[in-house]
Amino acid sequence: MQTAKKRDLRHMRMLLWGLVLTLMAMSLGWAQNKSSVVEAHAVMATDAAHANSPLKLAVLAQVAAGYHINDHKPSLDYLIPTELKVDPSDQFTVSNVVYPKGTLKKFAFSDVPLSVYEGTVVVGTLLQAGKVIPPGTYTLKAKFAYQACNDHACLPPTSVPLNVTIKVVPRNVPLKPVESDVFQRIKFE
Amino acid sequence: MEEQTPIENAPQASKAPESSPHENPTAPKSKLLAGALLSVVFVVGLYYVNRYWIAPAVRAQTKTEGDHPLAPEFSLTDITGKPLKLSDYQGKVVMLDFWATWCGPCRIEIPSFIELQKRYAAQGFTLIGISMDDSSEAVVDFYKQFQMNYPVAIGNERLGELYGGIPGLPVTFLIGRDGRIYAKHVGAYDPSVFETEIKELLAASPADEAKGFHQAGPFFQEDKIELGNPAAIDSEVPGIDLTKLTADQKEAFKKILASKQCPCPCKLSLLKCRQVDRQCPFSRKLAQEQLDAFLKEKGSGITTK
Repeated sequence: MQTAKKRDLRHMRMLLWGLVLTLMAMSLGWAQNKSSVVEAHAVMATDAAHANSPLKLAVLAQVAAGYHINDHKPSLDYLIPTELKVDPSDQFTVSNVVYPKGTLKKFAFSDVPLSVYEGTVVVGTLLQAGKVIPPGTYTLKAKFAYQACNDHACLPPTSVPLNVTIKVVPRNVPLKPVESDVFQRIKFE
Repeated sequence: MEEQTPIENAPQASKAPESSPHENPTAPKSKLLAGALLSVVFVVGLYYVNRYWIAPAVRAQTKTEGDHPLAPEFSLTDITGKPLKLSDYQGKVVMLDFWATWCGPCRIEIPSFIELQKRYAAQGFTLIGISMDDSSEAVVDFYKQFQMNYPVAIGNERLGELYGGIPGLPVTFLIGRDGRIYAKHVGAYDPSVFETEIKELLAASPADEAKGFHQAGPFFQEDKIELGNPAAIDSEVPGIDLTKLTADQKEAFKKILASKQCPCPCKLSLLKCRQVDRQCPFSRKLAQEQLDAFLKEKGSGITTK
């Protein structure tokens, strides 16, 4: 019994030291590891599309902790807005782009609170498929453009390129909804 | 023989309780939890002690001549149309500020910079603003609105790379009378940080390096002074120094880069990505690796940094 107790305690100590060493390694990596501040990808509301029909697209962007990007309608005229730019396409046209509401936040460098996006940002796009599109797979190109800052410095304006694959199927093929939880958050009008 | 009756209510011989492995289970577990929490606090504390105390102290102790490189020369036209060359300010203390009108932290520093210019210009100090805006229109409006009293020019990517890359804005360099860079600050700072450094550099002689100079304020990794390599910056493959290759070798190397795809979202070849996106860290790293492998294969014995 005593031996089992001692063994348990020894295992717990090893786990504890492992935790300490892991946390130390992580803390050293904090300063060096600056991967992209914003990562983004696009999803469709259905697994495919029909010609001459609307289709919904959502861009999910993740802003790194400690950073923010400006609201699509920035609080001050000199700030660079967040924008989803869809390249012109022969097959699809943009009917509407829906941006989320920003969060008002006070920063040291501004006298007034600024409307910004932090964390997960979801931008919805309503597209219209052309009247005559042969069934097949098409690529729609877009860019999620933003300019990020933290509390004391700003990164240059940049964008995340997006390549959206859209499968067009005959009208008699039913479309399956996907990513419902994402599209429920977007108020398409 | 008298029968012995059992003694009633005799106390039962009490069994010695078995020592259970779960007896008082919370004591060792609570100690371990406390130990884990203390470890987390300890590690977080270590991080901040290193960042704000140890790293600056180590950096101050290990300063050598190589840590104060000569500031790269540049020749621009300021927003009033006048030529702006760094060499025109030789013998003066120069605070070189990379900024932009769309940058909130940059804007908030400007009034204090105007004040520093007023206070120390007569002693041989000047600020130079390098705007990283895409166009001059917003800069001219800002210049007039804020009544800026020091030269401002529109910068470019090449100039940023010469100064080691501009990771974010603002980036401020303090250049001494001897033309050497003594401090670099990424991000907005309290003006007292710059004022301390300006006064120290103004007191130094232009003939000698200010060896006793200490960078004021907190020091971060990105504040380390590292300049770009002009040969790599101006290369046919931006960011990669090809000066050790012959003309034929350059063409062969470029063909290799054109045949390999950059893993970044651009989906371009390494060569094309380098040419259209100088900042792409993926294509820069891979192109450098390809160059090292190319030189090794050629057996030239030439190595790159």
